Amino acid sequence: MRICLVGLGAVGQGFLRAVQMKGEYLRERYGLDIRFTGVADSSGALHDPDGLDIRGILEHKKRAGLGSHPSGYDGMTGDELLDEAEYDCLVEATPTNIEDGEPGRSLVLKAMGDGKHVVTSNKGHLALFYSELMEAASEAGVEFMFEASVGGAMPIINLARETLASCTIESVIGILNGTTNFILSRMASEGSSYRQALIEAQELGIAETNPAQDVEGTDAACKAVIIANSILGRPCTLRDVRVEGITGITQGAIELAAQEGYLIKLIAEISGDRLEVGPRLVRMGSPYAVDGTLNMATLRTDLAGEVTAVGRGAGSLETASAMLTDTITIWRKSGGR
Amino acid sequence: MRLNLVIELRDAPGQLVSVLEPLGSTGVNIVTVIHERDREYGPVVPVQLTVEGDRETLDAAIGRLQEQGVNIIEMDGAPLREKFTTILIGDIAEGDLQETVEAVNSVQGASVLDLSLRMSEGRSAARITVEAEHGSRDEVLRRINEAAMERNLLLVSEV
Repeated sequence: MRICLVGLGAVGQGFLRAVQMKGEYLRERYGLDIRFTGVADSSGALHDPDGLDIRGILEHKKRAGLGSHPSGYDGMTGDELLDEAEYDCLVEATPTNIEDGEPGRSLVLKAMGDGKHVVTSNKGHLALFYSELMEAASEAGVEFMFEASVGGAMPIINLARETLASCTIESVIGILNGTTNFILSRMASEGSSYRQALIEAQELGIAETNPAQDVEGTDAACKAVIIANSILGRPCTLRDVRVEGITGITQGAIELAAQEGYLIKLIAEISGDRLEVGPRLVRMGSPYAVDGTLNMATLRTDLAGEVTAVGRGAGSLETASAMLTDTITIWRKSGGR
Repeated sequence: MRLNLVIELRDAPGQLVSVLEPLGSTGVNIVTVIHERDREYGPVVPVQLTVEGDRETLDAAIGRLQEQGVNIIEMDGAPLREKFTTILIGDIAEGDLQETVEAVNSVQGASVLDLSLRMSEGRSAARITVEAEHGSRDEVLRRINEAAMERNLLLVSEV
């Protein structure tokens, strides 16, 4: 399968590394031979119908962008690359943009328009234009998979839609943001203030320098929208979510909660009549009491009762694992050609 | 001794058996089961149960129901009461707490069991533990939430 990868941040690089690590496994187990025929980052792109040298790209990327790669096209955009490269599936890992979903939205639509399958880890376009993207995929008759956009390595989209295909999912309640879960976990275990825990998270590279999207709940809200649309079949966008972040949580509140056997967690609740993200009390020892950067989600189903998934919500290889699984699924669905 | 219970079950095949089997396995004697499916209740149906056994067995039986997440709405004719906790955070003035307590009391059968305050990072947090009749929890929370929003306080409630 020929893949065009656009976006070479932590997740994009993770995808290259994952394919490198699992090359033989993929060939032996699935008869799947992945060839990268195009790769782009924000500085430029490379393409070669015979397949690019992944090791060389990863080495170069440690020092500089693809624009300065010896065989790179300086300044070539992802959009231009899609015109040049020959490929079967676009793997889109550009940064999440919650203003207009770009450049992810245009890339995805263009690939679909050209009859290519798409795997994405991006949340922005899905949270803003879910219906439009789904329609484009179905019109083009291509596969569009986005497990990595919610909860990194924690299985949820495919768990609900494939593994629990017999069940109607009544609600999904979960922790969908690892950064805030880390901050709240540290406040509970170390007795630190919100401010101290945030600084610690930034020093460890868990929180970004501008942590707004995480701590104000926007990131979790995007994921809630994707779950509402894809699992509950409830059409909505980011504007429909009631969002409250964790910036108002004090150490005093955490202590008062702990005295009664509770933890405070940033919880997303998605059901027929609820679509919200906010700090909630959860019982210590309950499935919601996951620590650190872990994500979790409990799906309430009509036939199977409650099903809970827990997993790493971020991380380069972890998120890439979900994208690679989606790629394998597409390969199998298309008859392993 | 005998115990009369009213439990809530989802109106779906197999629900009754899935509750009665584990209940029986605790050693309790199930005397009567009244399952009024013919009346229109919506997605949940109340089921009256009479069970017999010694104190310990009955306790085990109730524990088993609760473990399974079965809602017990009545025990020996009295509505079951439930306890829940919420936390308010922000610039909490004395009057705010007074009014929040009144908001809770305005719901029939609901009262504040405990109120604790903690100052940190220049803001107050108040933990309010409420006891209310089974089924009135959402109404109590709605009124607390109204009171909190009016005062620009953050409400943290149980999942």
